[in-house]
Amino acid sequence: MTNSLNMIIVVLLTYLLNCCSSSNKDSRDEILYWCSNNNDEIKFAKLSTDEWNKNNPNDQVKYQAVPEGRSSEEIILAAVVGNTTPDIYSNMWQGDVEAYAQAGVLVALDSLNGFLDFLYERCDSSVVEEIKSLDGHIYQIPWKINPIMLIYNVNLINDLELNGPPKTYSEVFNASQKFQKDFDNDGYVDRWFGYSEVEVTWWQRFFDFYPLYLAASGGAPLVKNNRAAFNNKYAIEVFSFLQEMYNKNYFSKEKLSARQDVFLAGVTATRFVGPWEIAHAEKFKPKGFEYEYNFMPVPDDHIGPVYTYGDPKNIVIFKTCKDPQAAWNYVKTMISDEGDLKLLSLTNQLPRRKKLNTNPFFSDYFLKNPKMKIFADQSEYVKGTDASPVLKEIFDLISQQYEACVVYGMKTPEQAINDAADAVNLLFLE
Amino acid sequence: MLVSPYLVHFFLFVAFPVAFSIVLTFHKWNIISPMEYTGLNNYIRLFNDKTFFKSIGNTLIFLVIHIPLQIIVALFLAEILNQKIKLRGAFRGAFFLPVIVSGVVVTILWQQLYGYDTGLLNRLLTGIGIAKVGWLTDPNIAMSSIALMATWKNVGLYIILFLVGLQTVPTQYYEAADLEGATHMQKFFKITLPMINPTIFMVVILSTIGGFSLFIEPYIMTGGGPLNSTVSAVLYIYKQGFFYYHMGYAATLGLFFAFIILAVVVIQKKFIEKDH
Amino acid sequence: MKKFKSTLFYVSLTVSALIFVYPFYWMIIGSIAPENEIGNLTLMPKSLTLSSYSQMLDKIPIGGAFINSLIVASSITIGVLIFGSMIGYALSKLVFKGRDLIFYIIIFTMTLPFQITLIPQYIIMVKFGWIDTYLALIVPYLINALSIIMFRQYFKSIPDSLIDAARIDGCNELQIIFRILWPNSMPAIITIGIITFMASWNEVLWPLIVIRDESLMTMPQLVTLFAVGGRAESQLGVKLASAVMLALPIVVAYLFFQKYFIQSMASTGIKE
Repeated sequence: MTNSLNMIIVVLLTYLLNCCSSSNKDSRDEILYWCSNNNDEIKFAKLSTDEWNKNNPNDQVKYQAVPEGRSSEEIILAAVVGNTTPDIYSNMWQGDVEAYAQAGVLVALDSLNGFLDFLYERCDSSVVEEIKSLDGHIYQIPWKINPIMLIYNVNLINDLELNGPPKTYSEVFNASQKFQKDFDNDGYVDRWFGYSEVEVTWWQRFFDFYPLYLAASGGAPLVKNNRAAFNNKYAIEVFSFLQEMYNKNYFSKEKLSARQDVFLAGVTATRFVGPWEIAHAEKFKPKGFEYEYNFMPVPDDHIGPVYTYGDPKNIVIFKTCKDPQAAWNYVKTMISDEGDLKLLSLTNQLPRRKKLNTNPFFSDYFLKNPKMKIFADQSEYVKGTDASPVLKEIFDLISQQYEACVVYGMKTPEQAINDAADAVNLLFLE
Repeated sequence: MLVSPYLVHFFLFVAFPVAFSIVLTFHKWNIISPMEYTGLNNYIRLFNDKTFFKSIGNTLIFLVIHIPLQIIVALFLAEILNQKIKLRGAFRGAFFLPVIVSGVVVTILWQQLYGYDTGLLNRLLTGIGIAKVGWLTDPNIAMSSIALMATWKNVGLYIILFLVGLQTVPTQYYEAADLEGATHMQKFFKITLPMINPTIFMVVILSTIGGFSLFIEPYIMTGGGPLNSTVSAVLYIYKQGFFYYHMGYAATLGLFFAFIILAVVVIQKKFIEKDH
Repeated sequence: MKKFKSTLFYVSLTVSALIFVYPFYWMIIGSIAPENEIGNLTLMPKSLTLSSYSQMLDKIPIGGAFINSLIVASSITIGVLIFGSMIGYALSKLVFKGRDLIFYIIIFTMTLPFQITLIPQYIIMVKFGWIDTYLALIVPYLINALSIIMFRQYFKSIPDSLIDAARIDGCNELQIIFRILWPNSMPAIITIGIITFMASWNEVLWPLIVIRDESLMTMPQLVTLFAVGGRAESQLGVKLASAVMLALPIVVAYLFFQKYFIQSMASTGIKE
């Protein structure tokens, strides 16, 4: 009867009205580049686009800053869903790329002219393998990294009369034991050798478990071909090490981050952190405070270089881009020698390229910024994340076992790693 | 006609979603990629999902602590208020205050009260010589702490409901009992309780349905920890759907959980109605 | 003996009242105390400061969120009152085919747990392009089964003669609802209005799902994200300040309309 008819018409109208909301993106002539809203990176974007636009009147590039961090993920997601993606995005976390690649919203860069040649010039083959998607194509180009290393308080370490900063697990235990003190004898420890958040949030593991795992295993993967690959002795050793550190109260279980900066205050002697800490430390360090970086600690029987997690951010081009080749030409200038030097000097973040520590083009910068030199050395042995569309959840599942084993001591490391691997494999069932 | 807006709304927001939900359970979808048919995979995954069942267990633990506690406290205070009390309105107003305020406010507040080192509760305890309690850090009691907070928040509402119920008990019964020399306690257990059975029943059903939607409190207070002891079912579903974007799997979890809720409510109804 | 019992009662009531009110008091003074004192606070801080509030105002657009909540909660309340009364009227006073069926459908939807419809409702919002718009926050809540039932119940008690007289005077159905029924149903309208407003003001799960743009977030949503995320930088005072701000509007309304609040909540229980 007429009522049902009315109803159907109303519903149809509503649907039509809304799904056909036009995106006036099509009227965009310039190439749109989304950069992070970090002040230094905005400076970089401005310089880079200005120079390009001078020489390329037909392919103007416009930059726009978007917030970094958790919200940038959501902004990209919203843009993908609403079909309002930019042409170029430079802060895509490597772990996010696979999901978008599989959704078909990214341009396969290896199909562009000159891309592969440029890529092999910039990065060595292990890195290229790392950034390949599961379908064999390449949807991202490495831009920058911030390797996680061990920062230590030089004076406090010297006081312990060791042979420099600890490099193996035994050395760490030894140093921690010497360092642990209860100054006022109230039964509560007052200083700890190091600190890492005990929170179960998935990305916290980038500051403890994951870099240690990469260091111990020489850059081994967590997942491979949609199966857990971390069920090995290295992961178990890392869990054992951390479990012991918490068990003996060498790392604090209390939320020290609620206090004033404990590293600068000397309440802790070390931290696992990246180069961004340098700017913070220089600004707030007390008089006489000295700090240095060293490699992540490794198991006693470790041989070979010490890898770590690099928190890589890469550049992608979205399929909504009308002229990917032109966009790629611009991107090339961002990551040329001159572009990388600009990145270093303006933002103090390292470009992900081979032989950064020996390339004479950059030696001047490292002379002027000696604290960054060790990061350049480390950059040869840096790993990002494996290609998987469910990376967040993998880290979340590992975190849950981490909490049970390392923080609460309720499981053995073997059990925990096993349970984590089982849970991860269940994921791939969906 | 007048009812047509309802029909449109019903179709859009009830009928279609339920149907689509069922369809979704057989697919894999993360919003950005096209939907992919996966048959019974989501169901297989569900039955192997220890954390999901733990979350349902957590929710049940919450209900088992929260509901009796709430009824006892609410009845106790309502019974007192039902006597000839001066300033009744003021007391009632005080008890009702937490009810109207957002759960977010209550959670932020109690997170501070429950703090291990600087929280008010632990400071009071150490002040009188008792050891600190890991309200939110001890996996065995974290959920109880949330249940305690939820009781504090909602009990005002149930005091009011019980007051209404208490006032329906005819005074003649009490007068007759007085003649026989009954004590207050005797009157309460022999007359009041049986008479307000319907009210108690209603309180149980309302609290149960409300308790099954427990979400924002664990979300803010503990994020589900420690050791997943405070993940409520809704929190887990939310995470699966809106954090990992496993839309198909989340729909499966939602459907399953909805059945559990319906089952519990039906059982409660039968159990309590039997008493009549 | 009576005196003892009476004192016992008053003591219990006072202690209980304190338990319910003191935490709010603590919250308020915590928000105006300097950060380092909050850990030791019990009755009065040694000094007062508004820095928590100024920091909070700097970090989050709480004023905007307040306006968003106001717009959303008001729209929903008005919508629920209008549609609820329309449909309640149709179900209680009019006769038409399928009337009973619709009534049972409405009851059925009340028993349906929202957990089933949550995900698909989100997907509908995505498909319609309503994510990050007021529409997503308002439209799904415009029609509320409980309000329909309550209106229907209340209207049943209004004499048919009143309505028939209006019809004879030439009123159409809508005019009947708004000119005749509404003025005579003020208790129901106030009750349903308050319940709906309170519920939509405090709703937080749905906004968390459909609104990602900070400028459109509702107040409870913004405060939640503020408390859970790192923006507050573990500053207790700032978190407490945001909680106070969130509580303020409803508490103010409560202080003025306490009688109505309590009556409304009581009557939902009776209807069961």
